[in-house]
Amino acid sequence: MTVKNSLTPLEAQITRIEEMTSIEKLFYLKLIDLNTVKEFHYTPGQFLEVSIPGVGEAPISICDVQREHGRLQLCIRKVGRVTNAIHRLKKGDRLWIRGPYGNGFPMNLMENHDLLLIAGGLGIAPLRSVLQYALLHRNSYGSITVMYGVKCYSMMLFREEFLKLFREGDKLNVKFLLAYEDSDDFQCYQLSCERSDRCMSGLVTKLIESTAITPDNTYAVVCGPPIMYKFVVKELTQRGFTPAQIYMTMERRMKCGVGKCGHCITGSSNSIKYVCKDGPVFTYWDALKTRGLM
Amino acid sequence: MTETENNLKPRIGVFSLTGCAGDQLMILNLEDTLIELLSKFDIKSFQEASSYSENTNLDIAFVEGSVSTEHDLKTLKNIREKSSLLIAIGDCAVNGCVQAMRNKQTSIAERMIDVYGVEDNIYKTFEPKGVGEYVKVDFEIPGCPIEKEEALNALISLLNGDAPLIPDYPVCVECKLNGYPCVIIEEGKPCLGPIITAGCDARCPGLGLDCVGCRGPIKGETNAKAELEALRKRGYADKYIINRLRFFAGNFDDIQILGVKENSKGDK
Amino acid sequence: MYKKLFKEDLEQFTSTLKQFGSIYGPVKKTSRGCEFTELTDFKDLQLNYTRTMIPPKKFFLKPKEPLYSLNKDAGFKEIIDDSKTVLLGVHSCDINALNLLDRVYLNQFPDLHYKTRRENTIIIGVSCEPDDYCFCTSTGSSHALKGFDLFLHEISDSYIVRVGSMKGFQIITQNKHIIKNPSLTDIKEFKEYEAERLSKITLNLNVNGIQDILDLSFDHAVWQENADICFGCGSCNLVCPTCRCYDVIDYLKLDLKNGLKVRRWDSCMLKQHALVAGGLNFRPTRVERLYNRFNCKMSCSEDSLNCVGCGRCTVYCPADINFVEVLKQVRED
Ligand SMILES: Cc1cc2nc3c(=O)[nH]c(=O)nc-3n(C[C@H](O)[C@H](O)[C@H](O)COP(=O)(O)OP(=O)(O)OC[C@H]3O[C@@H](n4cnc5c(N)ncnc54)[C@H](O)[C@@H]3O)c2cc1C
Ligand code: SF4
Ligand code: SF4
Ligand code: SF4
Ligand code: SF4
Ligand code: FES
Repeated sequence: MTVKNSLTPLEAQITRIEEMTSIEKLFYLKLIDLNTVKEFHYTPGQFLEVSIPGVGEAPISICDVQREHGRLQLCIRKVGRVTNAIHRLKKGDRLWIRGPYGNGFPMNLMENHDLLLIAGGLGIAPLRSVLQYALLHRNSYGSITVMYGVKCYSMMLFREEFLKLFREGDKLNVKFLLAYEDSDDFQCYQLSCERSDRCMSGLVTKLIESTAITPDNTYAVVCGPPIMYKFVVKELTQRGFTPAQIYMTMERRMKCGVGKCGHCITGSSNSIKYVCKDGPVFTYWDALKTRGLM
Repeated sequence: MTETENNLKPRIGVFSLTGCAGDQLMILNLEDTLIELLSKFDIKSFQEASSYSENTNLDIAFVEGSVSTEHDLKTLKNIREKSSLLIAIGDCAVNGCVQAMRNKQTSIAERMIDVYGVEDNIYKTFEPKGVGEYVKVDFEIPGCPIEKEEALNALISLLNGDAPLIPDYPVCVECKLNGYPCVIIEEGKPCLGPIITAGCDARCPGLGLDCVGCRGPIKGETNAKAELEALRKRGYADKYIINRLRFFAGNFDDIQILGVKENSKGDK
Repeated sequence: MYKKLFKEDLEQFTSTLKQFGSIYGPVKKTSRGCEFTELTDFKDLQLNYTRTMIPPKKFFLKPKEPLYSLNKDAGFKEIIDDSKTVLLGVHSCDINALNLLDRVYLNQFPDLHYKTRRENTIIIGVSCEPDDYCFCTSTGSSHALKGFDLFLHEISDSYIVRVGSMKGFQIITQNKHIIKNPSLTDIKEFKEYEAERLSKITLNLNVNGIQDILDLSFDHAVWQENADICFGCGSCNLVCPTCRCYDVIDYLKLDLKNGLKVRRWDSCMLKQHALVAGGLNFRPTRVERLYNRFNCKMSCSEDSLNCVGCGRCTVYCPADINFVEVLKQVRED
């Protein structure tokens, strides 16, 4: 008896690996089973459960926009059991994925608006898919501003891609701004000499402080380490962004990704949220209604 | 087997400090799987630490027994220097175990008089402690002795390049998963299960016995005060409860605090 | 549709259930009561019981179950238990709890393991024997309106049998010779028995508006007081019929190629429930975990409360933390 179980991981092959930093690699995947390829659609902000048989599963955001059916990219930081095992894999090796899960960003709702993308560290991974989507449908969105906070130059993800945007983004009506924490970082310093209004030393909030942004007709999309949200949201609300104009994507422990295992539960009894299925994308308004979400 | 294959195998050593060597025996007890298991490792040393001499670097050093003498400490530091991973196996190595029962209760001098009749610390012993008190420990496999299954799974994980998975939840969880009747609730027995690290599959409660805590308390999660409270309510005397708690866990701060209070009541 | 079965015919009735699967029912296990156990001898069946420690949830979401056999090169192959089972003697609260679990496990992404067990199991309810810990009338779960194939409502010498599904109807049809129609006196008796049963449920928890109260009372002293005596042992969740949390672990065999993916019940009272890589814990202390548990249980899924008032979490807490008492203290009434 062969039963179709939508929760059974599908086989995928690694077609390419790029080492991005000392702890992060970019994996290019291709789904193997042609029948599943056709049904495999994802939108920016959705994630997969990636598994290595015998080691375990980890939720990972898809970091590119869907172009070709059955192909996708994952940017993975090695931090523990599963992610270490993924980092040991070579080009041509297989891993297993299920998904995509989660609500993703409301790309339709955001059409005809300006986009302000704010990311810290690895948080750029899901936002890159938003950026790529907006660039792919360039006429549907207004101006795009990206604010990216990194520790230092060597920790900057998608470096070439983003440096190109940093220098030539204006052609596409994209402003790319960079903040770096390590004030002694020479390469970042050089970038700041190139465009002092686009690259500065400090936290990502510094970029918000020193850039003229207005909430009119704009959606802010934020992703980064949990501690970042509070500060970013404060800056944005001070500038008049309403809680419904701020989108954020959240991290929690996740075992199932589909609202069953309970690990991603958050909130109090008047508003319980399962970050995997009710999110991972929430508005700041959701966060205000749900205790502990942010 | 070719030379290169051999070189790819993790080089391991198993060492005993002060302990009963029960954990080594447990590994040797994995008879059926032993030969297959051992063939996957390049065993550099499997012996009492006292005869440790080889100066080879190791991928993984398993250390059992507590640190109780100067000599233990010297050997341990040497092992740590030579090994990429150091794994404490058994309660003695994890937290001092039974040997630490009287730590901070009686002085070494008192104990020397009790046991040897002299006050001088002739063996240069000090309060037995887990190896983590002195060197960095990468993983801990608790138990007195360790569980075969758990040890096997840990070795498999290590062979595969993964961190071993050791439970960080209490025996009650395994009790419930097996559907064993709770001996505190049903019979008022002085079970320590609620604060003791799981991994034994709730062997004792499964036999209707109360957990004595042989796998040691869960680090960072032990609510010893609650255990004292829960057993008091069921009619047990403080002294009995505290001795029971100290038996395998004399080195735990929150259990020692209970001990100090009890001592100050004038008990010997 | 209501029928009637004489108690003296129960043994014969039970024996016909065998063709629908292995029969499990409440069997005396401890001083406190019964557990659902495979019925090998009809005499072991104890239909007059108060509560089992482990709820019948264990048949659908198993305490420990292998989900897949795995192979490093070939991936995952489902291990599905499609054995036929009959659960005889399930109480209303536990049936309502299963209805709640269905919303989780049979939603947009159905869990094949759960679904298969659910489809292969016949549930026969029975009226309960409430004690001082039951508060199902407060949580709206003292009666099961759906989620069973048959329900045996006890009256003096017989059961009024409510038929809840086609499968139940089939069982009734096969037992035609011992199945009767309830008489007017039976119906009168049924009302008396129901009143009698309900009168035994004396514990009351006012859940009206409890959600607002809980949110506003997140820093109420009662959480810390109870966290101080709580072990974080997880028993309260592991015996709860509506708790749905699980953990998944991959085990590898010594060949480093084959293995099993296993799931087991989990509990939000355990420290790793909300722990993520890098050591960040979204509920680092027992206070936060306790608060989460009570909030999860008092939240609603669609229109039903996530607690069915079965009393297990109180009865089986080794620290004697009383679920209803804590909520009453928070409510301050
Ligand atoms: C929606 C979402 C999107 C994400 N996207 C990305 C992404 O694009 N790129 C990326 O690199 N990361 C991403 N992450 C984070 C990523 O999922 C984690 O880094 C990953 O799960 C770590 O798994 P691990 O096995 O390597 O780590 P481990 O630390 O070994 O953790 C394994 C699992 O156990 C938990 N755990 C941690 N410590 C312990 C412990 N001591 N005992 C028991 N369990 C423990 C973890 O929470 C995890 O669920 C995302 C997370 C979420 C929720
Ligand atoms: S018998 Fe002991 S270990 Fe088992 S549930 Fe009760 S207290 Fe916990
Ligand atoms: S059963 Fe009691 S002691 Fe254990 S976690 Fe629950 S409330 Fe705490
Ligand atoms: S929370 Fe307690 S009373 Fe409510 S359903 Fe769960 S175990 Fe029963
Ligand atoms: S979060 Fe806690 S209370 Fe809620 S279902 Fe999971 S274990 Fe039960
Ligand atoms: S990850 Fe399992 S419920 Fe959200």
